Amino acid sequence: MDITAAIDEPAADDLLDTAIGLVTIPPASGSGALGPFVASYGASASLSPGDVDLIAPATIRIDDFRLDWNLSFSFGIDLSTFLPDFCLPRVCVNIPCVGRVCTPRVCIDWPTVSVPVSFSDFVKVTADFGISITESGGVWKVEAVVQGVPNLQFGATTAALLAAISLAVTPILLAIPFAGPFLAVAVNAILVAIGIAGITGFLGPILSPFVSGLRIPIYEQAKNFEAIPASGPTDPAVFVTIDDVRADITSTDEDELVLAIDIS
Amino acid sequence: MSLTQVHDVFAAIHEDGLDDLLRRFFGARPKYLNYGSPGFVAGTTVNATQMPAIQFPGVPGGIDWAVLIERPRVDAHPQTVGLPPELDPLGPQRVSIQTAVQICVSCTTRERDEQPDPDHPDDPTHGDHRRDDPDRPVGKDLRPVCFKVEVFAIAHAERTSSPSGDALRLVVDAIELVDLEPNELESVVECLLLQILRAVLASVRLPLTALRAGAFELVPTAGPLVQDDQIEMFGTV
Repeated sequence: MDITAAIDEPAADDLLDTAIGLVTIPPASGSGALGPFVASYGASASLSPGDVDLIAPATIRIDDFRLDWNLSFSFGIDLSTFLPDFCLPRVCVNIPCVGRVCTPRVCIDWPTVSVPVSFSDFVKVTADFGISITESGGVWKVEAVVQGVPNLQFGATTAALLAAISLAVTPILLAIPFAGPFLAVAVNAILVAIGIAGITGFLGPILSPFVSGLRIPIYEQAKNFEAIPASGPTDPAVFVTIDDVRADITSTDEDELVLAIDIS
Repeated sequence: MSLTQVHDVFAAIHEDGLDDLLRRFFGARPKYLNYGSPGFVAGTTVNATQMPAIQFPGVPGGIDWAVLIERPRVDAHPQTVGLPPELDPLGPQRVSIQTAVQICVSCTTRERDEQPDPDHPDDPTHGDHRRDDPDRPVGKDLRPVCFKVEVFAIAHAERTSSPSGDALRLVVDAIELVDLEPNELESVVECLLLQILRAVLASVRLPLTALRAGAFELVPTAGPLVQDDQIEMFGTV
């Protein structure tokens, strides 16, 4: 090959740290199952660097990079599912000169309430990236492309999110007439209904796509590469053609990311 | 042994890649290979560089000349291209350069062509005043006499700066002409061409970013080294 460029593992770590920081993750929205409820959500995320491990012949492992995420969702709760039927009994009184007067029996119809929740957290991810080399539209690209769908471990996040749901539900229930006495029972029942599994099952499909489609740029140049910029009317730019690009990981006394480039 | 060794970044351009880059450079900017006085070159353009004629007493307008250099081809150590005995073998950390140079002078018989009419010394319609006319057609009254000589040179790579940042250039250390006699004439022409070729190649500054096709950042810490048929640079990110 005409040109060889290589970086060692610490330099690759620096390079990918910078590149990860520049990756823009498009926000996502949709709806998903939150235990027995259906929640509509909007989510955004950003990435922070991890530790790079170059593994020959073509794997870049990034340990413990952070996915910082922000999630806003709301879900409807039919309170009649969680609260006992409640009726005010019929009350009669004898009023002199009027006679017996009775109030009607009044039963409360528990409403369906919407619970909005906003929650931010991060999850650390370790993922293996392959190396993708493409030439499209006159541009050569070398990218690290995540392999498979990394398993996201939410850990304490699930308990924290349940607590956030509890905090969101409480003032809504307090505002409902006659619900006060049943507050603790209702909140507990809702949280039990969602459960840890419900949280994990809700977060996983939302957050995994942020990582599973991840592409980190390593090299990008026009096929018609401007080798020397113009520097005057009689010194036009000098272009060379990049005919081929290869990339791999080599391991000798050091692990290196190596690009080999053919020009003409 | 790793490519980066004790450094963070390694970049190397093979002699074939350097040849491609020089071909593109001189293809885009032929003026670095073609030089001439106004009789040969009307003005400096992307194709040629105009320089003054050789001034000499009694030669109005001076002696027109031109130098045309063929695109140089390089061979980095270890040697793969044959060299004249004076330059053979190619030493470590050196590149050889092969080219050909054509030198022309105009043999205009000025005494006849350019002397004003003695009877009408100030009359531009008498005699030949074309050499003082900046609009005179290029080459119209030239009588070029040329010779071409094959040139081999030895050079080393040197780090320099350019408008695009750190760059490399080739510095000519010695040259040798082929088949030129007598020896004294060869020495004179060698001396001339050494200076010309050294100046030409010194003006060709190849940015480091070009030598690595834009791959990775490289702040130089070592190099350039000429070895394994390539020029190598080492650095940090």
